[in-house]
Amino acid sequence: MIQFAVRRIILSIPILLIVATLIFFLMRTMPGGPAVAVLGDYATKEAIEALEKQMGLDRPLGVQYADFLGSLVRGDLGKSIINGRPIAPEVGRVLPYTLQLAFSSLLLGIILGIPMGVFTALRRNAFFDYFGRTLSLAGVSIPTFFMGILLMLLFSIQLDLFPVMGAGDSSDLRDTLYHLFLPTLTLGLMMTAYITRTTRSAMLNVLQEEYVRTARAKGLPERIVIYGHALRNAFIPIISFIGVYAIILIGNSILVEIVFSRPGLGKMMIGAIKQRDYITLQSVMVVYASLVVFINLLIDLSYGLIDPRVKYE
Amino acid sequence: MSNTRILEEGKGKLWRTFKKNKTALVGTAIIIIVIAVAILAPWISPHDPLEQNMVHRLKPPDRTYPLGTDEYGRDVLSRVLWGTRVSLSVGILSILFGLVVGTAMGAVAGYKGAIVGSIIMRMVDVLLSFPVLISGILVVAILGPGMDKLILTMGIVFAPRFARLAYGPTLVVKEREYVDSARIIGVSNLRILTHYLFPNIFGGILVAGTLWVGTAILTEASLSFLGLGVSPPTPTWGNMIKSGIDRLTTAPWLSIFPGLSILTTVLAINMIGDGLRDITDPKLRI
Amino acid sequence: MGKVFGRNLWVFGIAIFLFAGVPAILTLNVGQAEGQILRSACKFGEAKTFDPHMATGSPDRIVVEMIFNGLLRYKPGNMTTEGIEPDLAKTIPVPKILPNGHQEWVISLNSGVKSHPYDGKAGYEITSEDVVYSFKRAADKKYSAFSGDYSGMTFEAADKYTVKITLETPTSASLFLPKIVNRGGGLIVCKKPLEEKGNDWFRTNPVGTGPFVYKSYKPMEKAVLERHKEYFKGTPKIQGFEFFYMPDLSSRDMAFQKGEIDVIEGPRDDLWAEKMTKIPGTVLQTILGFDTLLVHFNMSIKPLDNLKVRQAIAYAMNRKEFIFLYGPKTTKELYSPVPAGQQGLSQEEIAKENLLYEHDLDKAKRLLAEAGYSKGLSLDVFTSESESYQRAYELMQAQLKKIGITLKISVVDHSTFHTRIRQNLNPIVMYIAMRPNADVILMQYFHSASIVAAGKRPITNFSHLGAVDANGDGVVDSIDSLIESAGKERETKKQVEIWNEAQKKILQYMASYPVVSLGTLFANKSYVDWGYTPINLTDGLRATENTQWIKK
Repeated sequence: MIQFAVRRIILSIPILLIVATLIFFLMRTMPGGPAVAVLGDYATKEAIEALEKQMGLDRPLGVQYADFLGSLVRGDLGKSIINGRPIAPEVGRVLPYTLQLAFSSLLLGIILGIPMGVFTALRRNAFFDYFGRTLSLAGVSIPTFFMGILLMLLFSIQLDLFPVMGAGDSSDLRDTLYHLFLPTLTLGLMMTAYITRTTRSAMLNVLQEEYVRTARAKGLPERIVIYGHALRNAFIPIISFIGVYAIILIGNSILVEIVFSRPGLGKMMIGAIKQRDYITLQSVMVVYASLVVFINLLIDLSYGLIDPRVKYE
Repeated sequence: MSNTRILEEGKGKLWRTFKKNKTALVGTAIIIIVIAVAILAPWISPHDPLEQNMVHRLKPPDRTYPLGTDEYGRDVLSRVLWGTRVSLSVGILSILFGLVVGTAMGAVAGYKGAIVGSIIMRMVDVLLSFPVLISGILVVAILGPGMDKLILTMGIVFAPRFARLAYGPTLVVKEREYVDSARIIGVSNLRILTHYLFPNIFGGILVAGTLWVGTAILTEASLSFLGLGVSPPTPTWGNMIKSGIDRLTTAPWLSIFPGLSILTTVLAINMIGDGLRDITDPKLRI
Repeated sequence: MGKVFGRNLWVFGIAIFLFAGVPAILTLNVGQAEGQILRSACKFGEAKTFDPHMATGSPDRIVVEMIFNGLLRYKPGNMTTEGIEPDLAKTIPVPKILPNGHQEWVISLNSGVKSHPYDGKAGYEITSEDVVYSFKRAADKKYSAFSGDYSGMTFEAADKYTVKITLETPTSASLFLPKIVNRGGGLIVCKKPLEEKGNDWFRTNPVGTGPFVYKSYKPMEKAVLERHKEYFKGTPKIQGFEFFYMPDLSSRDMAFQKGEIDVIEGPRDDLWAEKMTKIPGTVLQTILGFDTLLVHFNMSIKPLDNLKVRQAIAYAMNRKEFIFLYGPKTTKELYSPVPAGQQGLSQEEIAKENLLYEHDLDKAKRLLAEAGYSKGLSLDVFTSESESYQRAYELMQAQLKKIGITLKISVVDHSTFHTRIRQNLNPIVMYIAMRPNADVILMQYFHSASIVAAGKRPITNFSHLGAVDANGDGVVDSIDSLIESAGKERETKKQVEIWNEAQKKILQYMASYPVVSLGTLFANKSYVDWGYTPINLTDGLRATENTQWIKK
């Protein structure tokens, strides 16, 4: 297990390298180069040259690339071209907010989604099944930001229960949770919809397997059949899909951060684009990439915890 | 491989089963209406979607303006109708673009195999592990705003998905005897790809592509909502919501109606998708 | 089967309780933050700098003007020349002409003015040494965006509490005093921290003498100030000031309604004002002010180098629609670059010269055809995401479309907008701002030295007037000499006449099209007592030492 984890971590290094390289070169394929992208089409040649110098773009590409990778290894994400502030500490400040949001939403999705999925599968084609399926279908079809807006209108404006902005005082747990609730609900309900659908179909699959039928035929109590045999086996596909959803979740957290004016990586990224701060954008992208790789790693490792029969090779 | 199964079932049988699936039928009906609206937008819109009329700004829904007006006095209904056109065409064109590029990539990778194939597929896997929205933001930030660039962006984002989809069936079909014999009698690689491979893998890809139009519409709306989509004054559902969010408490009609339009369209596409899945996965068949 | 469902429902119930019940209990205990910290939300996305000599953007100005003092200050809430009163100085100085023809202003300072604590050290007393250091810094192009205002001036410390400022060219009080008020280069920075820690440090750790001390800044979130206990005019009554950056109006609106924010800047919109007056416990602040919306054409690039194209655009634009867009209560037509209330040309005078440029589509189309663009033309422009700007550009886009001109608009962050227009990157610059008087308006927008990127002291001359041939006669057109001679004129009537002549020239050349003068709307909770009446002010409402909570 540990050996596998170590190998998996080592294996993810080249993936990160590929992504970082991709981002680095993509940034340089911008029409006219990053300096023109920052300044626009009406910029004078002198202004572009001056900015290229400031951004270090006047050096040979190889040198720039080596420097970029070297800095990354040292954990240095460079400095913002807009205000000259180092980027790494700023990422360090906002990343916990994004992680908090992602984690709590995923948790909500699992806690609501799995029981709902099991339930709808067992009551297949009954009223509750149709109800659950319709809701979860709507849940995967609604734009996240629209959902956020609707929840905000209902809970914050009509019912006056929750705040509409910010992340609260990070040293105060209660205040943090209070501010986290609506953003979590927005993403969590979306996750619930995804997980309900996956769980339902995984359960339906498993319930028709031979061993479930055998167990039932043997006269085992239904509870043991469902939880001991069926759900346990359905977990593997569920977990692998939860990995996929967690990544969708990271993407959608950007929208939620914007709707609820919450600090976070997404807000930082959109701010960087609007300010045409391509250095910050490049760094935030690398951070997102690491996050994605890390989630994939977690998912791979979690298979073993769920099902001891899974062998790591 | 559910895709190949669809093919093997034969078209007639597929349709008969499809007809019996209520979810899919309702979805199809809605989509047909949405497409009709998109095509007929110029004739059924009561007003010019771009015409500003400052005297009538921010009017709540009434008889002249069934869905109210926006902050420039433009008719929201007309903008929603025209927005259908933009959102749908961005969704469809970007998927088409992604389909062509991605399928070509996947088929070449599968057909060539060995080193070229595995390099392409490694890259595809890395790209696939990224959320659609984040890749979309990255590409659009590089290309800049505008409808053409948005289509290009989303095409690029979806291409790896099609590549992954085309790769597997290509590997299977490649090993079939008739492909082998074609190669032996000296048919060119390009011809084999276009005449033997594509017809065999196309059905499944087309089905998946149709469903991804929903994802593409959601992504377009999200990018427009973030201010990275089609430039003003062209109406799209996403940028209508974005400009309406500033007046959520005073003029909720600005964002509610385009929001519902997105929901309806994507929901309908997903209903078709669910129906298709029920059909192609016999174990789950009702 | 029944048992299974029972168990399932139970799990389900717990889940729902966890995610609905627990937060509901939490809300019972978390009340709104009490304590007298004034929380104000602006419409901007981010601060750029808190270095007072670099802060040119509205959101940054509000913050730095609470951290720093000037020798004089605009009476809170009244940013006109009439509203100037002493601040660090004891009295308003009067000039004296020296034998060599120079003009000398002697300023005596208040004693006992304490700087903010910095870098873990207690504050120290500010003297003439700091004041002189500060002005020299403000005059240095390297450290100041306002250096142009201080050329031809020398600063010296006569004694610990006396500063002498000498001007090579004498000027009137109404033009000199605004340079030593609490705005721009007139804000006094503290010498010691700058010398000890350097400019880079200072940029993110501003140290001043004002009523509020800089505490922290979270990018795209908020700036936090707390009261300066040793403020020389007395400890401020509120404990602190938090300045939030919230470009989304709906977030500001909701945060205000929920009581998470005490003051918000509204959009320029009568409908919003109407809505806010209906919310109990809300006070609406309508500030008429002298904010103007001018459209500057970059006359150095095609096709805007053609006078007829610019005139066509001017005739195609419709001021009435702009008034509706921003709300008739606070918006008025503007016919000259200097508002009539700031000694600008009156409507009658402009009408006499036939320079009103009233909306006339036929004339616009004819002019465009004469210029050789009968098929129309297309221009790429960008706007700030700030709603006043974006709406102005979108309305202009719709108006110009009627004569076949296509504006392609892209949207950038507000501070990026300001940076980029100053780099000469926008062919059409719509600019909303207030300047204190005719001299500053003409100097900053129309003097050749102020031309963006290329001028001697680049500020905000976006039209390039003074460096290009504006009317197509082959000669460079300039109003520099008019602006300069008006600045030296000490007889008011004559001065106004020269300014009027300069404005007529601007309109003849159509370097800039004056659209409307704008008011600003704010809403604050009724428990906020600003300690002053906002009559005329720019950028936004500031807290002062007298701002307090009204006791219930």
